[in-house]
Amino acid sequence: MASPAPLPSEAPPLHERLVIRNLPDNAALTQQLLSPIWRGGSRWWLWPLLFCSSGLLALLFFVLIFYTFAEGIGVWGNNIPVAWAYAITDFVWWIGIGHAGTFISAFLILLNQKWRASINRIAEAMTLFALVNAMIFPVLHLGRPWFFYWLIPYPSAMRVWPNFRSALPWDVAAISTYFTVSLLFWYVGLIPDLAAVRDSAPGAIRKRIYGLLALGWRGASRHWQRYRIAYIILAGLATPLVISVHSIVSLDFSIAQLPGWHSTIFPPYFVVGAIYSGFAMVLMLILPIRSAFGLHDVITERHLDVLGKMLLVMGMLLAYSYVCEAFTAYYSGNQFEQYTYLFARPMGPYAWVYWSMTLCNVLTPQIFWWSYLRTNVVALFCASVVIFVAMWAERFMLIVTSLNRDFLPSSWHFYAPTWVDWGILIGSLGLFCFLFFAFLRWAPFIPLSELKRTRFELRREAEHGLP
Amino acid sequence: MTDERRDRWAEALRGRSGAAYWRGLEELLDTPEFRDAVRHEFPAAVDEIPEGITRRTFVKLLGASLALAGVSACTAEPAEKILPYVTQPPEVTPGIPLHYATSMVLDGYATGLLVESHAGRPTKVEGNPAHPASLGAAGVYEQASVLQLYDPDRARVVRADRRRSSWTALTQALAPTALRTHVGARGAGLRLLLEPTSSQVVAELLDRIGTLYPDSKRYYFAPLASGHRESGMRAALGSAFETQYDFSRADVVLALDADFLAAMPFHLRHARDFAQRRHIEQPTDEMNRLYVAEAMLTPTGGLADHRLRVRASEIESLAAAVTNQVMGERAAQLSNIPGSARRAVAHLRDAGGAAQSPWAPWAQAVAHDLAEHAGRSIVIAGPQQSAAVHVVVHLLNAALGNVGQTVWYTESPIVEAGEANHALAPLAEEMRAGQVDTLVILGGNPAYTAPADLDFARLLRALPRSVYLGLYENETAALTHWFIPAAHYLESWGDARAYDGTPSIIQPLIAPMYDGKTGSELLAALAGEDDASAHSLVQGSWRGRVGSANFDAFWTDVLHRGLVPRSAAPRTQASLRWRTLVRALEQAANARRAPAASRGRLELAFRQDPKVYDGRFANVAWLQELPAPVTKLTWDNAAMLSPATAARLAVANEEMVELGAEGRVLRVPVLIVPGHADDAVTVSLGYGRAGAEEIARGVGGNAYRLRTTAAPYLVPGATLTRRNVGHPLAITQMHSALHGRAIVLQATLEAFRRNPRFTQDHKGRVLTLYQPFQYRTGDQWAMTIDLSTCTGCSACVVACQAENNIPVVGKADVLKGREMHWIRIDRYYSGTPDDPAVVMQPMLCQQCEKAPCEYVCPVNATVHSPDGLNEMIYNRCVGTRFCSNNCPYKVRRFNWFDYNAEITETEKMVKNPDVTVRGRGVMEKCTFCVQRIRRHQIQAELEERPLRPGEVKTACQQACPTQAIVFGSYTDPEDGIVRELAQARSYAVLHELGTQPRVNYLARITNPNPAMGGGER
Amino acid sequence: MSALFPRWSNLAFRTVLLVGAIGAVAVPFFLMGWVRTPAVTQQYHRPAQPVPFNHVIHVHGLGIDCRYCHSTVERAATAGIPATSVCVPCHNQTWMQSPAFAAVRRSLSTDMPIPWQRVNRLPDFVYFNHAIHVNKGVGCETCHGRVDRMTQVDQAAPLTMGWCLDCHRHPERYLRPVAQMTTMGWTPERPQREVGEELMERYKVRHLTNCTTCHR
Repeated sequence: MASPAPLPSEAPPLHERLVIRNLPDNAALTQQLLSPIWRGGSRWWLWPLLFCSSGLLALLFFVLIFYTFAEGIGVWGNNIPVAWAYAITDFVWWIGIGHAGTFISAFLILLNQKWRASINRIAEAMTLFALVNAMIFPVLHLGRPWFFYWLIPYPSAMRVWPNFRSALPWDVAAISTYFTVSLLFWYVGLIPDLAAVRDSAPGAIRKRIYGLLALGWRGASRHWQRYRIAYIILAGLATPLVISVHSIVSLDFSIAQLPGWHSTIFPPYFVVGAIYSGFAMVLMLILPIRSAFGLHDVITERHLDVLGKMLLVMGMLLAYSYVCEAFTAYYSGNQFEQYTYLFARPMGPYAWVYWSMTLCNVLTPQIFWWSYLRTNVVALFCASVVIFVAMWAERFMLIVTSLNRDFLPSSWHFYAPTWVDWGILIGSLGLFCFLFFAFLRWAPFIPLSELKRTRFELRREAEHGLP
Repeated sequence: MTDERRDRWAEALRGRSGAAYWRGLEELLDTPEFRDAVRHEFPAAVDEIPEGITRRTFVKLLGASLALAGVSACTAEPAEKILPYVTQPPEVTPGIPLHYATSMVLDGYATGLLVESHAGRPTKVEGNPAHPASLGAAGVYEQASVLQLYDPDRARVVRADRRRSSWTALTQALAPTALRTHVGARGAGLRLLLEPTSSQVVAELLDRIGTLYPDSKRYYFAPLASGHRESGMRAALGSAFETQYDFSRADVVLALDADFLAAMPFHLRHARDFAQRRHIEQPTDEMNRLYVAEAMLTPTGGLADHRLRVRASEIESLAAAVTNQVMGERAAQLSNIPGSARRAVAHLRDAGGAAQSPWAPWAQAVAHDLAEHAGRSIVIAGPQQSAAVHVVVHLLNAALGNVGQTVWYTESPIVEAGEANHALAPLAEEMRAGQVDTLVILGGNPAYTAPADLDFARLLRALPRSVYLGLYENETAALTHWFIPAAHYLESWGDARAYDGTPSIIQPLIAPMYDGKTGSELLAALAGEDDASAHSLVQGSWRGRVGSANFDAFWTDVLHRGLVPRSAAPRTQASLRWRTLVRALEQAANARRAPAASRGRLELAFRQDPKVYDGRFANVAWLQELPAPVTKLTWDNAAMLSPATAARLAVANEEMVELGAEGRVLRVPVLIVPGHADDAVTVSLGYGRAGAEEIARGVGGNAYRLRTTAAPYLVPGATLTRRNVGHPLAITQMHSALHGRAIVLQATLEAFRRNPRFTQDHKGRVLTLYQPFQYRTGDQWAMTIDLSTCTGCSACVVACQAENNIPVVGKADVLKGREMHWIRIDRYYSGTPDDPAVVMQPMLCQQCEKAPCEYVCPVNATVHSPDGLNEMIYNRCVGTRFCSNNCPYKVRRFNWFDYNAEITETEKMVKNPDVTVRGRGVMEKCTFCVQRIRRHQIQAELEERPLRPGEVKTACQQACPTQAIVFGSYTDPEDGIVRELAQARSYAVLHELGTQPRVNYLARITNPNPAMGGGER
Repeated sequence: MSALFPRWSNLAFRTVLLVGAIGAVAVPFFLMGWVRTPAVTQQYHRPAQPVPFNHVIHVHGLGIDCRYCHSTVERAATAGIPATSVCVPCHNQTWMQSPAFAAVRRSLSTDMPIPWQRVNRLPDFVYFNHAIHVNKGVGCETCHGRVDRMTQVDQAAPLTMGWCLDCHRHPERYLRPVAQMTTMGWTPERPQREVGEELMERYKVRHLTNCTTCHR
């Protein structure tokens, strides 16, 4: 077997650095990456801790969901005029986070970006679990959740159909489609690695379990050929969804004539925001994983650098849409628009939310103009946490500050969340973490096959002096 | 009740909810079974309440045991029974409501009503169009009284010294033979305490008791009747007449601390007459002008063309100043006024320092305007104003030659009006002196409402024998030996007179639910006629008056009409008594010369509460949650201050303070009211109840604690000390500025005449990309609301609540912004916070032709009907609440909880069976009373005729005293709505949004005096 | 290494996939069908009545008109369940002493209503009005079936909203002359469609399908 390409003595500029380096041969690599599944990694005792803490939060989540179902939406802080608040904020936020995964896997594979290989599975899993959360909220948010199926078009005995002029039935379709495709995409990608896990599994039971999940993968060339086709097709399917889903979600607001919602910029604006928050979350996840599992050779500075750049780009795009919104309002000459954008938000009762979220979202990514900070783990992590929170605040600002002061001053009313609102938000984070820890613990979270393939391609390029 | 019967009920009504529940119960309700049960079972049961369970919870349990409970959303439909009549009463057809005429009495004055009854169950109170005090309108008290009828907290048992007793036991104790042993042969120890009454039956019974016990005495006490009006009247005219006004003929009106449009007796009629001169169609139309001088902003003040904010104590010299100048300007015509009177008026004016008062020019201009409209003006003073003010006002009306034109006098309908026994103090004196052995109290709640200085509660407890007839086991019931549950007026026979003297009969809509007795029955027992029923007493009395010849015809006619036609009291020739008049004025003037009304210190004024009156309605949840007309305050009373005074005292809104007067203190939260007079504080009476009424208990502070016989309405030197604790006030409107938005359009009369089309840009079609749907055929429903005549009295809000089964959510949810009223009255201020202009705007579903709520509903739960209604279908709604977010008027309401699960069985009886009772998680909103529309449409189709113009009336329209709300179908050229819509003043709120509302507003036109700068105020 | 799974597991696995796929489609369709069956709509359900009142004898046998007992059907929302007193005129001569009349006798003596079992039940949020229907030419039979053949009355129609809408969208298929309102087994001498359209003209019948026609 050929020896790995030697690294140049002095480090080249970031964008030329390798996306993976000095890896052992395939067998060893497999061994190294799969060992945690069997031996829980070096700090195995951390696992119970993580599962318990996140599990408790997840439990809180479900308890509060039940409480809301039993008592009614009244246990939240919502009122008239602010009929939508935390639950919808959480929903939009989670959906947004879900976008990065598919973006990384689908977009980048079509664009043939090599650096995606190491992190795409983590991103996809994140997408999936974020969607699990996101799908709970719309149903939870209904006054009579037991009739949620009335939003689905089917020939009912009442001879009544959903109202297709409303964005909400489309929401249902978009989100469920997105979830299905993401799930398939993630799982199909997993198959070869599950097979690898199966083969390295000690004991018959584990072999059988993973064997079942691997759907009898034998790594035959026919398997590989079909696998590649299926994977590309799914990527092709997923790509437009990245755009469509959040566009449709944005319509939930922009079809309304409420100042602050009634805006044509929403679809792109939402998609950008979604990918922005998504990448922030990806960073928040991979940085600890990288150090915890010592994956510095798999997730290299090159990845961090690229992700840093993504944050910068998306941050700038977002800033642009903020400016656009405000300018449109000013230029429209419409007193209601102007009041919402130029007074209610920057100077109204929620001004502190508005300013903190704007500054965080716009200024934070600016630090990534410096390549040093783009590879500085601490800087990256802090920045992504800030963005992660600020993006939640953005959705809150967008929903609540538009609703609490609209056309007739007589109906203006303040909104304040209750402990249930907070509990549900925190609980949903708990559920996400729980699922994600399970994934880290028992699934091959680094795409082995992809990695090997990428390395093979890189080496060939190196040998044949290809770019 | 027997188990067998209970089970049958249980089965019959198991698993029902909403309408079906009623369809079921109706069939039960009229069975003697029901009456029997309610009459005999409840009291028995109630007496067996274990400790620690409140009556309310108990009734709930009982209800549950009857298995009546339960809105069952998605369960399989259980078996359901139909219980038909055994013998059907001829007049009753299940499903078709009947209306009966009756009257409600408040402090002796009757208001004629029509009450809707569903198979023997009164559900809604409406005004009687034929009755002079109503003309078809109804106030908040009248309409909410039906909820009081079903109040689960109402007393149910006769008690003797706390223990359960019986009516027969009482009648024996009160029988002359038994009573004489205590009160003496001539009844020297017997005292009666009644509320002021105009009932002929009661009067006759009192006379009979008088002859039976010659030495007994009777007293009348109404906490809100200060007696000033009467004593002023006696001083000026020699006898306690009633002043009658014809506002429809007055060009200029001066109201001195008089809320004659919303609070005073006969206000429904006054408002209607006044509005006639306010509702103008053509720029050429003439319009009246209203001057108001008051401390606290009232609906009347809000409608004023010129409102002067003055402390109540300044009114005296203000009135004198105006009078003085009028007499000067009309000297030629007023040769008959003696110099002494002129001097007395001048004294009074100067005593109050009118000359140096900032309002001197105001008074001058008003006086001039009045003088110019002599004979076509009205000056009216509030009952809480001093006797001197009333004297001056009588003089002024005379001086203006209004008497006989717009103002005249009649004998008072009140029994023994103006006599010395219309007061509590002398009775208290006798009680203190130990001259009273047995005190019989009919209604009222003296232990709670008595002036603090009398210490009435202690005196009452000390009495050897006391009997109390009341609706609730309240503060007074706790101190009396005998307690008898009173029959609600909807359960009673009786008679009463309206303010103008028109007599009417009170007839019951339902048999007494809790075995209540009427005052007449108790008096009859005292008179030794213990078997006499109220019915026989009333009939007997009237038979005696009209004679037996064709009495039955007369009787049926009166019951049918609800009044005795053409029977208003005749005008009396009352002339001013100069001697007493002058003396009264001089006394007032001298009283003033004594240390000038403590400057700098606070002046504390009490007022009749616009919601709970004197406290008697404190347990009516509808009224507690009704936003107060101006302040929008619910579930509380407060110390109302002007912004300047609040700043001076460094107190903030919702801050607890202690009001002190003569050593007594009251803890209430502060509420800053723009337009309130400086250095003055106003507090509503009627809160801080401590009786058995669950809803009322502990709501607000009891202002009666600060009230004295000497100063029933005004405490000159009150103190206000801060308590550093907060107290959240549930106010339904947080923001009152218009932010320059085209929501309320208004103009002065001149401006309107200059440019009659000033609303042009706010009506008509707006540009659209789509072909607008044409609503041309069939009925097309629309509504107009005249902002010139809306006083904000809130009668429409209660009417809507009663008609549409709107739940009460409680203070906590109102604080969160979750009140459920389908129609709210927005109140906007403009101008300075100290002295703003006020405008009221009823806001309800605008029934937009292009409704923003409709296209966002994912399940088609809100859609448009061919007749232009924005339909809301509760049973299809899944509760996404998107419709509310997209409603620019924010008139949609959401059932955050299952608000109807909490209410008791008796309260359920008030629900309107024609309207779905909404469960948890669905949206609701104004439907233009679609149930009424459909009922009349079906009726018309059955009779094979088109709908008549004005046949369908919405509940709010029906209740509106000023007829500011007009509703109808604009495809019928005969319909009044066509004319209203065509008015120059009409416009649509937020017209630019292109929602094409079916509700149009008529811009507010004010008529300021050009001589006074012609400003909005 | 040895095979982890036996050969047949392939087949098993494929079958599972297939069944799952079919189920995913079939279950919703099954549910949609099921809600339309009498099991849910309660069609044909015949509760036992406290009095064995026999419509065959009274309607078919004695030819008593529906309105004799259901007297408010032409003017009120409810057709009206007869008061006990309605039975008396005829039955104080006959049958009154028979055991079948126990409930009637008790009702008359105790002045308590006879607890009839409701047969045709609509949800609480539906405001059905008999008067307007019968006056616009909807016969009793159209909704209540051949009552003259029912010894014990049962629910003849599914009473689903779809069923209501059928008629509200196409009244002409069901209308009959008002004179024939209570006739059982009435058949038009000309094609129903013609008759129906004619009657729609005469009675000014509209296609009322907006929601507040029934829901308020």
